[in-house]
Amino acid sequence: MKTSILAASLFAATAVALPAKADKLDDIISSGTLRCAVVLDFPPMGSRDADNNPIGFDVDYCTDLAAALGVTAEIVETTFPERIPSLMSGRVDVAVASTSDTLERAKTVGFTIPYYSFENAVVGNDKVEMATWEDMKGKTVGATAGTYEAIWLEGKVKEWGEGEFRPYQSQADVFLALSQGQLDATVATVEVSEANVKSGNFPGIKIVDKAPMVPDYVALITLREEYGLINYMNLFINQQVRTGRYAELYKKWVGDGAPASLTIDGVYR
Amino acid sequence: MFDTALTAKDLVFLAQGAGMTLFVTAISVFFGTIMGIIFGVIRYQIGPWWAAPLTFVLDVFRSIPLLIQLVLANAFVTTVLGLRVSGFTVACSVLSLYTAAYCSEIVRGGIEAVPPTLRRAARSLGMTWGQDMTYVVLPLATRVALPSWIGLALGVMKDSALVYIVQVVELLKSTQTLITRLQEPLFLLMICGLFYFLISFPIARFGGYLEKRWSND
Amino acid sequence: MFNYNFRWNQALNSLPDMLEGALVTMEIAILSMVIGITVAILLTLFRLSGNRILYAIATTWVEIARNTPALFQIYMVHFGLGGFGIHLSPYMSLLIGIAFNNAGYLTENFRGALKAIPETQTRAARSLGMSPLQAFQNVILPQMLRISFLPMTNQMVWAILMTSLGAVVAMNTDLYGVTSELNARTFRTFELFAIAAVIFYLITKAITLSARLLAARLFRY
Repeated sequence: MKTSILAASLFAATAVALPAKADKLDDIISSGTLRCAVVLDFPPMGSRDADNNPIGFDVDYCTDLAAALGVTAEIVETTFPERIPSLMSGRVDVAVASTSDTLERAKTVGFTIPYYSFENAVVGNDKVEMATWEDMKGKTVGATAGTYEAIWLEGKVKEWGEGEFRPYQSQADVFLALSQGQLDATVATVEVSEANVKSGNFPGIKIVDKAPMVPDYVALITLREEYGLINYMNLFINQQVRTGRYAELYKKWVGDGAPASLTIDGVYR
Repeated sequence: MFDTALTAKDLVFLAQGAGMTLFVTAISVFFGTIMGIIFGVIRYQIGPWWAAPLTFVLDVFRSIPLLIQLVLANAFVTTVLGLRVSGFTVACSVLSLYTAAYCSEIVRGGIEAVPPTLRRAARSLGMTWGQDMTYVVLPLATRVALPSWIGLALGVMKDSALVYIVQVVELLKSTQTLITRLQEPLFLLMICGLFYFLISFPIARFGGYLEKRWSND
Repeated sequence: MFNYNFRWNQALNSLPDMLEGALVTMEIAILSMVIGITVAILLTLFRLSGNRILYAIATTWVEIARNTPALFQIYMVHFGLGGFGIHLSPYMSLLIGIAFNNAGYLTENFRGALKAIPETQTRAARSLGMSPLQAFQNVILPQMLRISFLPMTNQMVWAILMTSLGAVVAMNTDLYGVTSELNARTFRTFELFAIAAVIFYLITKAITLSARLLAARLFRY
């Protein structure tokens, strides 16, 4: 009698526990769509063509990932401050949005291994005398709210104790303010800075110096608990480099030369 | 100023944004007004004491920035409750409640503007509460409330510019997208502002005209 | 119940920063209101002056302020004027943007209030030997401000709510700016904005309450 009750309750317990929850990787494959958050005012990583369709390194990267999964890619435009909230709110599956792998963010979202690495440049207004990055001291500087550069720059301004820091809502607003002379300088990735200087859209700006930050490794992000998907994406990034697709995309969007190395000497991962 | 890289396709893109602005506004004003009328009548009928909880909740919508309402509602529904709801739904729901909060105030004011003696007279003639509301209060209260309601509807249209925060691409957001690519901020913003103005100005003038015409008789 | 871990501690640690932001928010709202009322009185005078150009200036101001989104107005103050080489700090852009909006709405309120003041009063004042300006200042203005006190209180609440739009011009010291910067760093969106909402609610209640007390004191008959 007792054993049968025990057996029954055990059976009930397993019956409740058994239907293993499909994880996000399964969800994506079965839904047939991969929804990627991409920042589209961040050329060459993400921007729009003349028909206002999304293009760029990150867009292609998302398309490649979707192709590997055998699903179609859906690009969801996002802004830098909004990329993690849109992930948390389930509107997108992953963010291919040049997200720097900071420890603070890792408390909230799950990072893959780096898929790209940025160097940052100091970009100044023509009319402002600047030779090195340290000349930003005491000036009015700004960057896109919530980015790695913004956090670094705001920290520097606090450390210097003079000058002013302004967080604008988008990269475009930052360069507009810089071009108008509202900002004296900004810190942005070399790729974005060069693209913006070259495009001629923002008259009166110049690249001053490299910013003295450690290389800014950026990774794909998804929800923290989605290990299956994170593992898959780690392998995917590895394959992108191994097959030469990484170099190919670099050439297509960034330019000639060797793409940045994604490994660090002397430590794993 | 007129030397621009703006193409016909971009104008279509802008028009889509404008369509979204009008769509969100229409939905929110429609549901907001229905809820506003219901809440307004309830608040009038049951008296200030019993209506206090309702009044408080509606007051919250008028005392917190819409931007924060949107961010908070979005975070609550999607992150805390974990529901898959589109930004569009969140935007329309919040804006509807926001509209209802102001509308109930207008409705209550309209009903209060009907002289109580007139209503008592109507009831003495044997009219039911429903008849009194339909044939006496409704026509008179509408005259008082309609101009303010038009103002509210236009206010909601302008405030709908904030729904970009929950990833709804309306007019201002699509303008910013084009600014990013074309880098003609002033020109594009002028177009955007002109659009709001062209919709809002005639309707506001019409509201002013109604107010003037109806206030003297 | 929720598949979400609230981290109120982390958010509450930022409370001092947010309260400091609340002070900036109140400061901007009050200053924008003072500027707004002053400009609105000036625009009302423009309208009464009978001069066509002054009348056109006042009407244009009022119609732009009332018929375009406040967000648009603030953005234009920063980037629009910036295009003409007029550079305003985020603080000034926000303050001027809100003051512009306030002035437009208040001028319209004043117009309504003026209608309630019989024109015979101006004539009486004039026949007592007052200049047109004296008549306005001593007879019309006090009544106008009294009649439009309630709409002015409402506009004050609006001014507080409008400070939340400063983020588009890189404003980061007001309550909304501080909150969204904390959010960008920690992503505790719900907790942080819930606290901000409570603070905003308390500010607006405090303002309306003190406006009521002020009215009771000012307008005793």
